[in-house]
Amino acid sequence: MSAHYDAVIVGGGIVGALVARILSQAGKRVLILEAGIEGAMNPATYRRYLQTLYTEGGTRGMPNGPYPWNEAAPSPGDPGGRPYYQYDTDMHFMSDYLRMLGGTTLHWQGTSLRLVPNDFRMQTTYGQGIDWPITYDDLEPAYQRAEQEVGVSADVEDQRIFGVWFPDGYVYPMHRMPQSMVDQFFGKKLAKKSVTLHGGRYPLRVISIPVARNSTPNPKFGLGDGYRPVAAVANRDQGLRCQGNSVCMPLCPVQAKYSALKTLETMARSDLVEIRTQCVASRLLIDRDSGRVNGVEYKRYETPGSPPGSPGYPPQTETVQGTLVVLAANAIENATLLLASHAANSSDQVGRNLMDHPYLYVWGYSPTPIYPFRGPDTTSGVESLRDGKFREVHASFRASLSNWGWSGEPGHQIKELLGQQTYGKALRSELAARMAHMVKIGFMFEQLPSPKNRVTISSELRDTMGNFQPVLSYHYDAYSLAGVEVAVEKVWKKAITRYAEIDDKTCYPDDPVPPGYQRVMYNGIGYNIMGSGHIVGTHRMGSSRRHSVTDRNMKTWDHPNLYVVGAGNQVTIGTANPTLTAAALSVRAAEAMVRELK
Amino acid sequence: MIGKSKPASRKARGAKIPVRSVPAIRTPADLRTHLQMALQVEHATIPPYFTAWLSIQDGQNFEAAETIRGVLLEEMLHLTLVANLLNAVNGNPSLTHRRFIPRYPHRLPHSGDRFEINIEKFSKSALETFLKIERPEAKGARPQPGHFHTIGQFYAAVGQSLDELCERLGEGRVFCGDPSRQIRPEDYYGAGSIVVVTNRDTAHWAIAKIVQQGEGAHHGIFDGDHKILGEDGGQEVAHYYRFMEILKGRSYTQHDTPSSGPTGCVMPVDYSAVHPIQSNALASSYPRGSEIRAALVAFARGYGGLLAALEAAFNGDRSRLTEGVARMFSLRNQALALMQTPSGDGRTTVGLDFGPPLRRSV
Repeated sequence: MSAHYDAVIVGGGIVGALVARILSQAGKRVLILEAGIEGAMNPATYRRYLQTLYTEGGTRGMPNGPYPWNEAAPSPGDPGGRPYYQYDTDMHFMSDYLRMLGGTTLHWQGTSLRLVPNDFRMQTTYGQGIDWPITYDDLEPAYQRAEQEVGVSADVEDQRIFGVWFPDGYVYPMHRMPQSMVDQFFGKKLAKKSVTLHGGRYPLRVISIPVARNSTPNPKFGLGDGYRPVAAVANRDQGLRCQGNSVCMPLCPVQAKYSALKTLETMARSDLVEIRTQCVASRLLIDRDSGRVNGVEYKRYETPGSPPGSPGYPPQTETVQGTLVVLAANAIENATLLLASHAANSSDQVGRNLMDHPYLYVWGYSPTPIYPFRGPDTTSGVESLRDGKFREVHASFRASLSNWGWSGEPGHQIKELLGQQTYGKALRSELAARMAHMVKIGFMFEQLPSPKNRVTISSELRDTMGNFQPVLSYHYDAYSLAGVEVAVEKVWKKAITRYAEIDDKTCYPDDPVPPGYQRVMYNGIGYNIMGSGHIVGTHRMGSSRRHSVTDRNMKTWDHPNLYVVGAGNQVTIGTANPTLTAAALSVRAAEAMVRELK
Repeated sequence: MIGKSKPASRKARGAKIPVRSVPAIRTPADLRTHLQMALQVEHATIPPYFTAWLSIQDGQNFEAAETIRGVLLEEMLHLTLVANLLNAVNGNPSLTHRRFIPRYPHRLPHSGDRFEINIEKFSKSALETFLKIERPEAKGARPQPGHFHTIGQFYAAVGQSLDELCERLGEGRVFCGDPSRQIRPEDYYGAGSIVVVTNRDTAHWAIAKIVQQGEGAHHGIFDGDHKILGEDGGQEVAHYYRFMEILKGRSYTQHDTPSSGPTGCVMPVDYSAVHPIQSNALASSYPRGSEIRAALVAFARGYGGLLAALEAAFNGDRSRLTEGVARMFSLRNQALALMQTPSGDGRTTVGLDFGPPLRRSV
């Protein structure tokens, strides 16, 4: 039995890192158990992943393509591995996460929007979904702390929408990213234009979006203290500004984009924080009388991959104790571990209410050249449809303007032009003309919490190490699909393409459906939808132990020393990419833990 | 490098300033002349480091490339700090006058032995030159206005004369530059943070920063702490010793000393994974009308454009710094293209000519 910790944190991603940072700042001793390998934390390894992305990126699949397959702690979407998710439904869940130190921030986009106030009170305002036990106002201070930690570049004035407020004098750490020519084109064409949805008029206003990517620091940040951008891990001369490498996902070549590795690095020399990688938590040891979690059992493996027969197989089982135990392993892994431990589930809500943002592209040619394929993948969006009375009947959505033209280009265009016997200078000029006009918009829709969308486990479905694999049931409901119909048929086809004079080239082939998408039908029309990687809702918070897994501070109702933290606490998904909210929830939970440990 | 303090001296710390050109500092005008000279000295090693860094083939010799890039960034920080100092005393930093860019090979006289700096590819001999530039120096004699043996002394004399002038004329009359001309932390990034110079304290702070990047832990291999700079540091091998590791092909361990040399792991360096560029290439050596000449002239003009943008940024138009950054990326692309173009001798590829660009060019 090893030393005693104030908190044992399961998961070394952004949530675990942030909880560890706040606890250690308060003088508490913390252990992080990470299922995956140290991986990208080592700068030479980071470079190797980058090289893999450059040389094999297209063939290894996204977004986990550059990372090695790890049979000991498999991730969904691992290149080369056997499928990790198992299904109870025909419909698949299209979103991935990464089990490696740094977690899914090793492939995230960096978009850092706050939820809007009505996202917290959907039932009261619109009669849909359920209300959170906390409001926007309750979470606002934690959002600030999260924005500082990940280093958000944004303009407060742009973000004051739908009741989102900031304290007087607040500015984001850095100024908003410079707006691309794509942004400027749409901004101009859609200025003062609007759409009518469910009887209400909504402007099509293009605004900058907050991103966790280093831009120019705002000297007014911190009441005039200014903000110092955080450089790449182990390279203080790298990544202090976005260079417009136009790579971004999964890996920023210079680490101008935040990853949890940066937060972890700040603690690397702390005596209070210990990080153990290659330790897969497999079970919580619970005292059935008191409900206390007495220990976390984990399997330590020596060789990443650890197929039977390799050194270190079978893995060694060890146990560790903490005054508090914190699950911070992502919404699906948290649920799997709770189910495997028969823990925290008196409400029968563990694993339920799994949500994501169904994602759909539309695309076409702009009337004038707008020169995409430059800069970060997205710097602006049409954010004015994220809230409104229409949410009584269909999903809200946001439209993310892509700076990277159509997907998979110029490959498809070259193939097509070569097929038409176009060569040499003619090929080059035709290609240049097409590429310079490509626009693409990604629509991202909210999904309502549904008990039928869930994670379960089954005793037969285990990975090489004997740990449970998640078994998923998933579908898109009519509420989201009605939103899809409005976005494509009305907002795109009737409004944006008309106002911006776009030559619409959108089509959703079904024979076959392109890889990475799945086909849905709504009112006789087929759409190809993908996931957003926004995995939310499997251990929601609530004001009653009957309907929720944790209380408003993310402590489980059933166990006096067990916290479960992350996007899984979200009660609704709204239309904000969830990482910033997960980070804010971590801040809130960690502050509660500090109070409890006093 | 942010907060990087080398145990040792900088390029120029060991370098002599031609004595005749350095009169004693008696007036604010003398001070401005000295700081303009410092601007030129800080600039002189930028082209060679830039060239050696980019000559390393992409993805190869990562340690060497990052070390050189780190030093290059430090030189750029020093240049900007000197510009802030000069602006603080109401000067006009000039980066575009005809003699600002030295002719290479450039003799950067060192106390004791003289050596030449070339615009050349990454190689053992280039590394040896960098080691001479970065060599640790024992502290020199006390500053004596008019006779500087090292740039360290030179900066010490500047600091001393600042104090004297402030006492004689009053701080406000010395630091009478327009504060809006200062480059601020939000404008500048890389190799540590910039210091806004508005008075005697901040001026000493800026000078300390330039000098300290050369001094710090005097007799060790690893960087000291960074109390003066207020930045958190760690055990990192200082530049001089990182160059030594590369030259010896072996890393230092925690127990090594400067005299033991590196005894750690073997660090393979592949000198063939380098673009075989000509040393000290000249646009004028290629025939008129040739593509190479045109590309070299375009590069030199690009470099001139960068200096012009920096000069504008240092003379009140801070937004031009952003243009400078964009120009640096263009220069990198132009340089990489030149370095992959055969020069025609069957052996080498084209090197870099930083200008000034030929007047009657192509």
